[in-house]
Amino acid sequence: MWYPIGFTVAANPSSATVRVNEDGTAVLLTGTVETGQGSLTVLAQIAAEALGIATDDVHVVSADTDTTPMDTGAIASRTTYVTGNAVALAAEAARDILFDTAAQMLGVKASQLEAKDRKIHVKGFPQHAVAIGDVAQRSQFVLGQPSIGSASWNPPTVAMDPETGQGKPFSTYVYATQIAEVDVDDETGEVDLLRITAAHDCGTAINPMLVEGQVEGGISMGVGMALQEEMLFRDDGTHVNPNLTNYIMPTSLDMPEIDVDIVQGFDPTGPFGAKGVGEPTAVPTAAAIMNAIHDAVGIRITSLPATAEKILMAIKASREQEQKRLSA
Amino acid sequence: MSDITLNINGETRTASVPPETTLLKLLRDYLNLAGAKLGCDVGDCGACTVIVDGQAVNSCLMLAGQADGRDVITIEGLATRDNFHPIQQAFENNGALQCGFCGPGVILAAKALLDENDDPDVATIRDALAGNLCRCTGYTKMIEAVQVAAGELRAEAPQQLSHAKSEAAS
Amino acid sequence: MSDEEKVLEREKVHLDTALRDPEIDLRLPAVVPREPYPIETLVPEARQQTRAVGQRATRQDGRLHGLGQTKYIDDMSFPGMLYARIKRAGIASARIKSIDTSAAEAIPGVMAVLTGDEIPVNSFGPSLQDQPVLCAEQVFHAGDGVAAVAAITEQIAEEAIDKIVVEYEPLPAIFDPVEAMNEDAHKVHAPGSNIYATKAIRKGDVDKGFAESDHIFEDRFTTQMIEHVSLEPHAAIADWDANGRVTIWATIGRITLARADIARTLSMPMSRIRIIGTVVGGNFGGKNEITQEPALALLSKKAGRPVKGVYTRGEEFTSTTTRHPIVMDYKTGVSNEGKILARKVRLVLDGGAYCSWSETTLGKACILSPGPYNIDNVVAEAFVVYTNKTMTGAMRGFGAPQVCFAYESQMDDIATKLGMNPLDIRLLNAFHEGSSSPTGQVLHSVVVKESLETASARFRWQEALT
Repeated sequence: MWYPIGFTVAANPSSATVRVNEDGTAVLLTGTVETGQGSLTVLAQIAAEALGIATDDVHVVSADTDTTPMDTGAIASRTTYVTGNAVALAAEAARDILFDTAAQMLGVKASQLEAKDRKIHVKGFPQHAVAIGDVAQRSQFVLGQPSIGSASWNPPTVAMDPETGQGKPFSTYVYATQIAEVDVDDETGEVDLLRITAAHDCGTAINPMLVEGQVEGGISMGVGMALQEEMLFRDDGTHVNPNLTNYIMPTSLDMPEIDVDIVQGFDPTGPFGAKGVGEPTAVPTAAAIMNAIHDAVGIRITSLPATAEKILMAIKASREQEQKRLSA
Repeated sequence: MSDITLNINGETRTASVPPETTLLKLLRDYLNLAGAKLGCDVGDCGACTVIVDGQAVNSCLMLAGQADGRDVITIEGLATRDNFHPIQQAFENNGALQCGFCGPGVILAAKALLDENDDPDVATIRDALAGNLCRCTGYTKMIEAVQVAAGELRAEAPQQLSHAKSEAAS
Repeated sequence: MSDEEKVLEREKVHLDTALRDPEIDLRLPAVVPREPYPIETLVPEARQQTRAVGQRATRQDGRLHGLGQTKYIDDMSFPGMLYARIKRAGIASARIKSIDTSAAEAIPGVMAVLTGDEIPVNSFGPSLQDQPVLCAEQVFHAGDGVAAVAAITEQIAEEAIDKIVVEYEPLPAIFDPVEAMNEDAHKVHAPGSNIYATKAIRKGDVDKGFAESDHIFEDRFTTQMIEHVSLEPHAAIADWDANGRVTIWATIGRITLARADIARTLSMPMSRIRIIGTVVGGNFGGKNEITQEPALALLSKKAGRPVKGVYTRGEEFTSTTTRHPIVMDYKTGVSNEGKILARKVRLVLDGGAYCSWSETTLGKACILSPGPYNIDNVVAEAFVVYTNKTMTGAMRGFGAPQVCFAYESQMDDIATKLGMNPLDIRLLNAFHEGSSSPTGQVLHSVVVKESLETASARFRWQEALT
């Protein structure tokens, strides 16, 4: 499968502000909202990498229209890519102020410096270094230049032609494959999911543990879409099952063993090569399960969800067809 | 009004509530223990799970009055000032929670399991968590975390036994 | 040790001087230089590593989740806070003849009642502003809100909305999107057509492609309406100060859009609106636009107290956005070797009662529908259609899972018919670096084949086939 990152053509900018405290730790301000996927941790890692400090040294403040800079939001799998780019640029801007100060302290030009291991040192000569805390202190209290950087970023796109749709709607895409193994009971139509193997591309995986979590969660939504979930309406348009008793969704008993592999990738347009992974994980699962059912009992389900009744009816229909063929 | 006295996380608490108050509402609105969450209020999702007399129950299905005189453990009662409960530590280290809303319920369901079965296999763990819906994680890392926590608890257990023996002796 | 000393001992804070000491190298043993981002390191120390990218860092908020310390909106309360409830229509298509709130207002404990005609600008939506905050003249689906109440307890609010009397004049309704495309079908948002957006992609010459194909496959696939079921229901709290500034804590993933929508519906300048997002208990697309926030803000203004509204689980199904059901017609022409020569796709999306994120879903579904395959001749036409059902909006994938189900199912059917290994037929057609997408975009960082091969190796695909 393939899936785009960011909005379709339309501008979806993110902005961020990074401030380095006078002890060398930092604060990141972002308008994005943490909705469970772990974006604040990932953004902290990106800021830390750019500043040469550790994830634990970065405190993230988010989701307040009064205090945090504008962000289009946690949607369309865009946070790591778009907000991440804004964060990396903002961190670099804050770091450049520190470089100016460190350059004076080390007697070199700012372009000769790099930040690593909570130090700023001369490229190629790590022994010529100053602690980042010392630089930040000096910058703020001696030179009167507190370290702060702001930046925004928007994915470059090209509008689509209204007749032919030709254009560049997204700046980048991610790719993935999922394979499912099922056991179908041909007397009841019930499907037992044995195993799902997933290989997902997300560019550089900023935090592999969180990527795995997204893959496993997305697969659970895919399983529900494939086999269980359906909102039903009566003839008059009122809801039949607006509750969790009758709207069936996956529990721990419905989930199979999942193997997750992160496909090596690097996207030069993303922060440290990263792209995104939030939505793609839910995309190929239903198809994989339907294909596995097809492989198991030779029937093709063309309407989701593939409930036991549908599968059983399809098995029976295909057997009747077989019998007709044999007898003709 | 019903007068209720119960033992919550080792402390005796009392409250006077309208008779139709559920245990969930008692915990959240009267006793300031907001760890148990309201996800559906009819016992389908498990976000309100707490442990009553050793059993994991949906607190939205139990009336506060039915909990009178019982021992209740909520998520707030697991960690001490110095240590997290091994299940909480394992969940944190394995990235088992994402949005976290189902978290307290799942952790307590896991604790109820591990209190009875110190070495459950994957199928048993899945069974124990079957009443807790999670939309974010797919349950995979939770199951791994429960296995890790079970290992930690088994490793701690002999030390607790010898500690108890030395206390008895002194 | 005295008791005081024991307390102080326990409370001692150890200053971390490492940050200011240049001599200490904080990196773990070096990773091979060719791999710039270390993939696996010890978890508890991962947050301390100064090569932060690639670490399996634990989440700080994860720790709070496990302790039950995370404050979701429903865990927050303010002095004097009221609880709000919204009355739902319960009828799919009707004109509102009258709304009588007098019985509700008379209930002791009810502090404010709100109907749609009191809302300054009663329409919102991320692309088409066709959705009312509370219906004033017509209801378009059974979960539509017609009135809102704020009371001192949830029970009283629940009782109050039952006492609100709404007189409806039932109107015809349409539920099937394909039927709704006919010109003589009931118009949901009359007088406009039920087809409220279309998208088309044309590349190459599909007729020529089909003519050259050895086999043609035609199939129809359909998918169902699905609800996000985030464990935390939609919730928000609204509060005003004496300077006419409103603060809204909300479970919304897009706070700047929310602020813009509140500014529009309440006719206020943005500088007087503050939206605060807390940790959201699951979004998946269902919390990317306002729902009850303008109503809560107005109730709060009327009552002079903070107002909290939390959707019931039932309202999550009836009154929040859902995933678009799609009817997908795929016609694919292939050569004997399994190369796809032409593909024609027609998508009809069930657009529910309001647009919400349907235009985006339409666009993505259309662009993604040919699949990650090199196909020279493509036509993809997509339509989204109003029906009198729950509004369909953004949900994890925006149409991608539906079309992937279609094109990947058909791919296996093609493989079976041609006697090919399903893996091989995909490797034959898949995008590679520099491929041209259906919209003529040159793709970079393409790893479709790598993902196919990685998954197949892990699954032991070739062994499984024998």
